[in-house]
Amino acid sequence: MTPDEMIVEEAYQRELQRITRRHFFRDCGVGLGAMALGAMASGKAQAAVPSAVDAMAPRKPHFAPRAKNVIFLFMAGGPSQLELFDYKPELQKFTNTAIPASYLEGRRFAFMDSSFDISKVKLLGTQRKFAQYGSNGAWVSECLPYTAQIVDDISIIKTLKTEVPNHAPAKIFMNTGSAQFGRPSMGAWVTYGLGSEADDLPGFVVLQSGPRGPRGGAVNWASGFLPTAHQGVPFRGQGDPILNLSNPAGVSAGRQRSVIDAINALNREHQSATGDPEIDTRVAAYEMAYRMQTSAPELMDITGESQATLDSYGIQEGEASFGRNCLLARRLVERGVRFIQLYHTNWDHHGGSGETLTKDLDLVCKQIDQPCAALIQDLKQRGLLDDTLVVWGGEFGRTPMGELRDTIGRNHHNDCGVMWMAGGGVKAGYIHGETDELGFGSIEKEVHVHDLHATILHLLGIEHTRLTHRFMGRDFRLTDVAGHVVHDLIA
Amino acid sequence: MSIPGTKFGQIRRALRACGAGFPAIVLAFAAHADDAPAPSFNYEVRPILSENCFTCHGPDAKARKAKLRLDLEEASRDAIVPGDHAASALWERVTTHDADDLMPPPETGKSLTADQVDVLRRWIDAGAPYQKHWSFIPPARPVVPSVSDAAWARTPIDNFILARLDAMGVAPAPDAEKATLLRRVHLDLTGLPPTPEERAAFLADESPEAYEKVVDRLLASPHFGERWARHWLDAARYADSNGYSIDSPRSIWPYRDYVIDAFNSDKPFDQFVIEQVAGDLLPDATREQRIATGFHRNTMINEEGGVDQEEFRMEAVADRVNTTGTVFLGLTMSCARCHDHKYDPLSQHDYFSLFAFLNNDDDVTLPLPTPKEQEKLDKANAEIKAIQAELATYVAEARAKTIPAWEKALTLEQLRAFAPEDQATLLSAPDARDDAQTARVEALWKAQDDHIVKKNKRVDFLEKTSDRFTTTLVLAARKQPRDTFLLIQGDYTRPDEKLLPGVPEVLNDLPADAGASRLDLAQWLVSPQNPLLARVTVNRFWQRFFGKGIVETENDFGSQGLLPTHPELLDWLAVEFRENGWQVKPLLKQIVMSSVYRQASAAREDLRDVDPNNQYLARQNRIRLDAEIIRDAALAASGALDPAIGGPVVYPPQPAGVTSLGQRDRGWPVSKGGDRFRRGIYTAFWRGTPYYALTVFDAPNAQEACTRRIRSNTPLQALTLLNDEAFFELAEELGKHLAADTDTPVVDRIADAFLRCLARTPTPAETAILVKLHDTQRASFKETPADATAILGEEVGESAADDAAWVMVARAMLNLDEFVTRE
Repeated sequence: MTPDEMIVEEAYQRELQRITRRHFFRDCGVGLGAMALGAMASGKAQAAVPSAVDAMAPRKPHFAPRAKNVIFLFMAGGPSQLELFDYKPELQKFTNTAIPASYLEGRRFAFMDSSFDISKVKLLGTQRKFAQYGSNGAWVSECLPYTAQIVDDISIIKTLKTEVPNHAPAKIFMNTGSAQFGRPSMGAWVTYGLGSEADDLPGFVVLQSGPRGPRGGAVNWASGFLPTAHQGVPFRGQGDPILNLSNPAGVSAGRQRSVIDAINALNREHQSATGDPEIDTRVAAYEMAYRMQTSAPELMDITGESQATLDSYGIQEGEASFGRNCLLARRLVERGVRFIQLYHTNWDHHGGSGETLTKDLDLVCKQIDQPCAALIQDLKQRGLLDDTLVVWGGEFGRTPMGELRDTIGRNHHNDCGVMWMAGGGVKAGYIHGETDELGFGSIEKEVHVHDLHATILHLLGIEHTRLTHRFMGRDFRLTDVAGHVVHDLIA
Repeated sequence: MSIPGTKFGQIRRALRACGAGFPAIVLAFAAHADDAPAPSFNYEVRPILSENCFTCHGPDAKARKAKLRLDLEEASRDAIVPGDHAASALWERVTTHDADDLMPPPETGKSLTADQVDVLRRWIDAGAPYQKHWSFIPPARPVVPSVSDAAWARTPIDNFILARLDAMGVAPAPDAEKATLLRRVHLDLTGLPPTPEERAAFLADESPEAYEKVVDRLLASPHFGERWARHWLDAARYADSNGYSIDSPRSIWPYRDYVIDAFNSDKPFDQFVIEQVAGDLLPDATREQRIATGFHRNTMINEEGGVDQEEFRMEAVADRVNTTGTVFLGLTMSCARCHDHKYDPLSQHDYFSLFAFLNNDDDVTLPLPTPKEQEKLDKANAEIKAIQAELATYVAEARAKTIPAWEKALTLEQLRAFAPEDQATLLSAPDARDDAQTARVEALWKAQDDHIVKKNKRVDFLEKTSDRFTTTLVLAARKQPRDTFLLIQGDYTRPDEKLLPGVPEVLNDLPADAGASRLDLAQWLVSPQNPLLARVTVNRFWQRFFGKGIVETENDFGSQGLLPTHPELLDWLAVEFRENGWQVKPLLKQIVMSSVYRQASAAREDLRDVDPNNQYLARQNRIRLDAEIIRDAALAASGALDPAIGGPVVYPPQPAGVTSLGQRDRGWPVSKGGDRFRRGIYTAFWRGTPYYALTVFDAPNAQEACTRRIRSNTPLQALTLLNDEAFFELAEELGKHLAADTDTPVVDRIADAFLRCLARTPTPAETAILVKLHDTQRASFKETPADATAILGEEVGESAADDAAWVMVARAMLNLDEFVTRE
């Protein structure tokens, strides 16, 4: 008899006695048939096959990377470049005048279909005060006093161009390089290409703050036709950071360990019987799940951070906020997580209630300004900025003309918007591109979303035309059939 | 020709003898001797040209370089001299050492291997013959090959499979254990595991028909339709919300039930296609036929403020064109929306001609009151009528006395509360008023009369509540069709040439008498001349049983798709399917009755080098269950399943906060009673914030047609099975069942758990693992009784520690790889 068979036999005898004591011999023969069958089925054991492909195992890039990790601060709704970074004194002069026709040629605007009378729309100069900062004299408005202090650490792109003027399509364009649904998001492509250094956390993490989730939801961090392992994992600010992370009531960590041990032992038995390497992957997945149960709460627990750090991000105790998410982003980078995306709503300042270009813009700026600057400084201080690419921006910019709702706001504008990048091989203290004097379009160094993607991949050591996945007969890329690395942005 | 005495020669002889085509085998063993045979254009040459040349020298006129086109025989002669490779520019350009001239250009990152260059050389020397792309040639019934082991071949399918294995010198795997086969066929046909009783009956049945009886029982089960509908719903991009950012709920589940019914009643597949594409246009269209057109209403709706409605209507039509291409034709039509297809002979003109068929509808909502709802509606209408009659009398009577009295009794203060013009009216002399003024006074009185206000409130209530009946989304053809234009770059703002409805030129023609309606399109799709529909459909059925199709790229039968591993089998199945009146159940029965299906799935050391990906099926594949089926299996194993079929969506538990991930938190009202334990197909699916346990196990996002799911294997799946309330409560159910059986020894109860979850008995090693888990957990719960209480809820008795320990055992069972896998 093998040791296992002895255990079973012993258990069986013990039970038999228990039941016999209560019921004499009633029913006690039931199990023997099953026992015999079970015993015959053994003897198939083979040596275990080594673990199968791990989707998140770190992989080598195409060439030496400048950045190892990415933090994408997604300002959902489309921040107004004209109130923040793109200073337009000419536009101010022409406030309330009609738009010169030459500026409208070939442009599309949301809320303005063929029935819309564009002659009624008037130009709108900003009400915000601007000043120049840093060694390059970068213009930053009064809305972002903290960001103004880090302009020497960042590259400001004034000419970001996207192709669609509505939120959901534009958001997936920014995230997947296509306005069509079904494509993988940037984070999915990056972990598909590079895996992740973290072995106890997902390789692509999404954090959210603001009054509502980003439009389109999970589509923004989808894996599309790539394996689902590359999908972004949302971490929540409150409750379980990862869905189903906590054990059910009554299941302690020790109990969870015992159950997982039993599951994995049984899975290994079955692996021997079938020789299927997928079972090894599942065993590894359960081990990682168990590690995540410890590492994710540990990640979220910021009580070990100094008061000075918490203050620098403007974090209030126990409050979910963009600031807290920025700090978590740094902690995720420290743990080797490859791609971190923060969404903050709401930047959709049309002028309606809750979306005014005045106090609502003030509010959202206040929510993000200090934490963004703190993140850059914190990463820099800890020597992490060199390896970490930080990207700030939304799905599009806003129009130079006003839009009358409850108050005057601005509409969606896909021809130019502002984005800034820092760290990870990007130039520090650099301003890229210029827009026309009214802010309708770029006049030099336009950066299309595809170019942005190509550049981000390049900084990660990936040649964007070579990161492909074949689906429906075509080799798909994040950059579709376009995209040029913007070398001017690279230090 | 063949080389005597070599392995290659033997294989070729074997292939010729059995009638199997040469394709993939030839590729695997091709020799380079000069006397090697002319390569097959479809199987060897076209893949090389398609991958490396067609982007610039293919169907897309705008992208074409040097005016050279290699996808057509005649045009290719600009670069090919048949019979003389040395004189052919093509050969020269792919072999030159001059980097400026080399093709494909080095900057494309593409290059030809020496083998590929050699294939081209031999092909040119043999006259460079072209063939129509394989999938565009209508299938003809092939001869069933003879095989080395006639006894193994239970069905003609097996002859095709074994002929290929014979050629490779590989023997098929033995049949799976009876119990394994039972669980496999249960899960494949109905998505539910066998009960221990069904297993015992099958094992006890030693008759030769035992298995066939099971298959027939499963095909007749109403759960068959639920299982097979789900595959179709993936392709139909079915969901219960509108998508995009607002993602409002929609009611279209009657379409889902239509699909379940169609599979259960074995509706002929051609009829199924016609009804979904154009059911509303059939003569005397029934309610069901109209519901069927929900197929193309599964497009998303953008409700975001400020969008141009026309843009997103066009998006939806484009989705219908793309879906038509993917689902019925296995073609990547979507590639031809902005430009001519880069690889396949599908032009932008073809795209928008197809578009013109689908551009003439209104999206309407079909009311579908159930008999009960109709009764309620009738009752409400009757009551409303009665109230209105009563009020008419009441007002008529009031005109003489009550209204004048009311007017007189108005105080100055009351009068001032009215609008100035009303004040004037009220102050005027009653007999000096015109009709409008009289009516106005009456209206003012009505607005304050308690009786009337009360009755009107009742009418409002009845109107609001009685029209809450079921609806579904359908297509309705417009009387006046829209004009359709070829759109430059697919941009809806850039119309070009006006087009009439038409079908891709490369496929079968529309009949001469065909009109321009969706019904004409539907009939063209199912016509016997269509080379694709039957092939594409049987291939997808096949992939459900083996994990991948005979054509692995099940959504691309074009030149970039993979070639069929068993082309004759594919054609045989396609012809069989069509000639048997498109009946699905007999086709599926043929497949599950075959020996190839019944094989054991364990890995085979001897295949590791010969066929590492098991393309030729010398064994079955282990396949992880689909998301919904994992839930269904847990429901069944735990005994909690509510087997009701059809009806509105349900809301099983899911982690808090999932619905808050979208723009609007729609909430998640967890279903009570039996609805909490319904099969996964009934779970409400929100496109923006999908049910978590479904997406974590790779359910598609319903944004476009999905014809094959990815199968991933992740830590988040582990956390879901371990901790998600929807699964933990089923572990509790199963645990309580095991715990209650106190008269049975622990090891036998473990065996019972194995039977319920895996349809097999455990090995001693497996039993030992669970005995240990049970014993240590029982001891631990004794020490921390609060844990046991937390797990068991209020039903804690003396046996709490033991009961809770069984929940942990049940939890382990529901987490096993084998539990979520079809062996």
